[in-house]
Amino acid sequence: MKKILSVLLIALLATSMVFAGGNKEKAAAADDGKVTLNIYWWGNQIRNDVTQKAIDLYMSEHPDIVIKAEFADWSGYWDRLSATAAGGNMPDIVQMDYSYLNQYQQNGLLADLNPFFEDGTIDTTNIPESIIASGSIDGHCYALSLGSNAPMMVYDPAVVEEAGVTIPDQLTIEELYEIGNTIYEKTGVSTYYDGGINMMQIVARTYGSHLFDELAAGDDTAMLKHWNYVKWFADAPSAISPDLLSEKNPDIVETKPIADGTTWNDFSFSNQFIAIVNAAGRPLVITMYPTTEDATNQPMYLKPSQFFSIAETSKHKKEAAEFIDWFTNSVEANEILMGERGIPVNTEVAAAIKPLVDENTQAIFDYIDAVGAIATPIDAPDPAGKGEIEAIGKTTAEELRYGYLTVEEATEDYVSRSNSILSV
Amino acid sequence: MKHGYQETRKIHTIIYHVFTVIFALVMLYPLIWMVLGSFKNSNEILRNAAKLLPDPWITTNYSTGWAGFAGYGFGTFFKNSFIIAGISTIGAVISSAIVGYGFARCRFALKGFWFGCMLVAMMLPFQMIMIPQYILFNKMGWVGSFLPIIVPQWFGQGFFIFLNVQFIKGIPSDLDEAATIDGCSIYGIFPRIILPLIKPSLVTSAIFSFMWRWDDFLAPLIYLNDPASYPVSYALKMFSDPTAGSDWGAMFAMATLSLIPIFIIFLAFQRYLVEGIASTGIKG
Amino acid sequence: MRSLVIRTRRYILANKKPQPGKTVIMRKQNKSFAQKLNTQGVAGYVFTSLFIIGFLAFMIIPMAMSFGFAFTRYNILSPPKFNGLDNFKQMFTNDPVFWQSFKATMYYVVFSVPMRLIMALLIALLLVRKSKASGLYRALFYLPSIVGSSVAIAILWKRMFASDGVINSLLQAIGINCEIAWLGRTDTAIWTLIILAVWQFGSSMLIFLSGLKQIPIALYEVADIEGAGPFQRFFKITLPMLTPTVFFNLINQLINGFMAFTQSYIITQGKPRNSTLFYTVYMYQNSFTYNKMGYGCAMAWFMILIVGTLTLILFKTQNKWVYYES
Repeated sequence: MKKILSVLLIALLATSMVFAGGNKEKAAAADDGKVTLNIYWWGNQIRNDVTQKAIDLYMSEHPDIVIKAEFADWSGYWDRLSATAAGGNMPDIVQMDYSYLNQYQQNGLLADLNPFFEDGTIDTTNIPESIIASGSIDGHCYALSLGSNAPMMVYDPAVVEEAGVTIPDQLTIEELYEIGNTIYEKTGVSTYYDGGINMMQIVARTYGSHLFDELAAGDDTAMLKHWNYVKWFADAPSAISPDLLSEKNPDIVETKPIADGTTWNDFSFSNQFIAIVNAAGRPLVITMYPTTEDATNQPMYLKPSQFFSIAETSKHKKEAAEFIDWFTNSVEANEILMGERGIPVNTEVAAAIKPLVDENTQAIFDYIDAVGAIATPIDAPDPAGKGEIEAIGKTTAEELRYGYLTVEEATEDYVSRSNSILSV
Repeated sequence: MKHGYQETRKIHTIIYHVFTVIFALVMLYPLIWMVLGSFKNSNEILRNAAKLLPDPWITTNYSTGWAGFAGYGFGTFFKNSFIIAGISTIGAVISSAIVGYGFARCRFALKGFWFGCMLVAMMLPFQMIMIPQYILFNKMGWVGSFLPIIVPQWFGQGFFIFLNVQFIKGIPSDLDEAATIDGCSIYGIFPRIILPLIKPSLVTSAIFSFMWRWDDFLAPLIYLNDPASYPVSYALKMFSDPTAGSDWGAMFAMATLSLIPIFIIFLAFQRYLVEGIASTGIKG
Repeated sequence: MRSLVIRTRRYILANKKPQPGKTVIMRKQNKSFAQKLNTQGVAGYVFTSLFIIGFLAFMIIPMAMSFGFAFTRYNILSPPKFNGLDNFKQMFTNDPVFWQSFKATMYYVVFSVPMRLIMALLIALLLVRKSKASGLYRALFYLPSIVGSSVAIAILWKRMFASDGVINSLLQAIGINCEIAWLGRTDTAIWTLIILAVWQFGSSMLIFLSGLKQIPIALYEVADIEGAGPFQRFFKITLPMLTPTVFFNLINQLINGFMAFTQSYIITQGKPRNSTLFYTVYMYQNSFTYNKMGYGCAMAWFMILIVGTLTLILFKTQNKWVYYES
């Protein structure tokens, strides 16, 4: 073992020298005067199909541009994107997510889009300022949103009707508790309360605060409130048992407890509405996340479903920006895309697409409109520690529901662990 | 007496077959479920998971699945998988046999060290060396081709080397010595004596290598960038997206199809393992 | 080629005891190039050169780098920063999830490895029996292993062990009133993964089968003449002769057990309460989801230390129980 270790150490020293030199080659091959753009996204079959179709159309209109598409599944996408970033050959245009935006920007991997807004390469006349802001860090936009999204609660209208209750546009958490119990008494269907990071953010926002600011400061106000709610709902007669909740796993669309009617409600983001309806196989209704009784601030917000960013290493930023402009602002592109990435951010394009989409997508259009009317600005892009804090949150919620932790213990443990992650 | 003995034997045989078949069916239930699932409606698969038989039977999963995505069909993906798994397997089997012989039969300086390196390499999850290896292959200009996936297979694979070592050690060294006396060099012993006798481990290596390369999606994910070069294993992942929803029917259909080549390879090779104790041993 | 084997066979029959020292004598003589090439010291490197070249070309640098990362803070996107033993300190003293994942993996290995090996060996013995259907049976038992840990298996496994799933229905059918949410309980969830591992015993079975095939028939003939019963045959011949294969399977399954990933990653996602969070999954999450590649590498090399030590111990005890012909 000793021998192995010493050899490894020597090899390490040797390699660190080799790697001291950077990697600057790998030019996007520009054969016969054509510009080649690489574009990379995550998604499913439908997204791959429609995006490729749109790209084909763009290439037929711009014979001097060749766009090479690459696509992957969600987790594979981020594995490979980080590898390309480390290798210095990121694709020219990359799909970006709100939770990764900060890290990629902070490491100088994304190009500033502001110059392209200023010289008109990307036309922003019909794009609301809040959309640009959602992809901006310190006043510079690094990612242009491709569609809007909002947190939502879904519920089963049949069960609600059977129980003889009505659900307003936005419940308070306290009302949700009461209604949940009534529904359970009348129908035997359980209630699910979101113990995860989305609800934490909502709770903090009800009094104008932001979750990650609090956690970074070691402030436990929101978390105490949140874990109290989680415990309250876990002890309610209507609560879904922790065993069953863990088995059904609401993190996965297909197995969400609402899919087989174990619960009458569930929480997610609006871009999952169609997938949830499909999984449930019966009509569901989309409504807002609940707020608190004593809320002083509207917690609902619009969130970019995903962005396009341009790699800082790209040799053809201008051409990439032109493509993004077309992708966002042209009706013909969006007639192919059909709001698959969320409601188009260009308001005129959205209006033009709306009559063409199916019933469930229209419900999302209407929902986004309704949220847009009352929404307050979204929290700043997530810090790098978000993934881990979110994961710890899931376990803490379980500990609380199974009764291994009290609210006070959960709060203290969670805040201190999150705080140490954020302070690295 | 004789009659009674035959009777018992017959009963034993029947019990043997009944037990084996029942046990095999229990073992196969999940697989049957999956195959039948590929004929169900996408939503039916999850909602009526307890039901085995599709209602109604549909075959559209196969047609929509086969069509693939963004104009790249599963025909292309299967072709890529065959190239990757096929060439890798040939390389892995040959090289691992050669290296295995060296480790099993020769005494040389630092042998223990190199064998240790091999074992450590087996213990290190690919995810942990994925990033440095990507940088390395990127510098070599191999990223975007099959080379980073296939070429390393031609330099011996720890698992198969180790397997061959164990088998070669099981062969009496008398044989080597006898061959040496007959004027055979170390290099001659390998193809003439050892290779014919480790056929079972070569066959096993081939079956495993093909299956593992066929199923591996991580290396293709990292090293390939043109969808036209994606293999089946990777393409299968693209039927599901945690945010945008999944086409389970098509995924089950293509997953079922993707099992067929591995199974055929198994059937083709397993007959070399068939003979069993009754006819084995050193052939004379 | 055949004739050489025959001649060799005759040689063995003629010389029951091989004369020691024969090869040694050869080495002492003055050597030509060809003779030098024919020594074990040189031939060993000729044969293993393929591996050594491949290892130096493709493995050593990435491995060394991952080892180096273990002592840094590295988020992949920006260059690593040296932070000494901080990752290890954090791991051992300040990360409850690390220990949870370590415990879950240990539990999984301790139960799944022996159970899978015993299952594989029993079925291999069952299938080695000569019968027209044995090829078919082999295929049937091997089939579960070729599906691997795909998403399809994940869905099925979840449904089978659901509170209203097949397993509970079966238990109810035989009179056990049972509505356990197998996947929802800390004490049972890991067993669903162990059962999955045991179910996929095919690869070990295949190796046992090829090991059984290598046992010389002559040994059984002698045993028959001496009137040995089936149990004696098994414990006196089959098992000792199979020990190299058992040893291989044991080492291999041990490594595989520690490296198990997909089951936990796609079926249970560590739920409930991290009781099924495998070490490799947590390592992967740290490296890629939490952007702590340095920490992930520290975890990886700690695992190598553990698995390496266990492997080393097994190799050292090898002389005591593994029987090699040569």
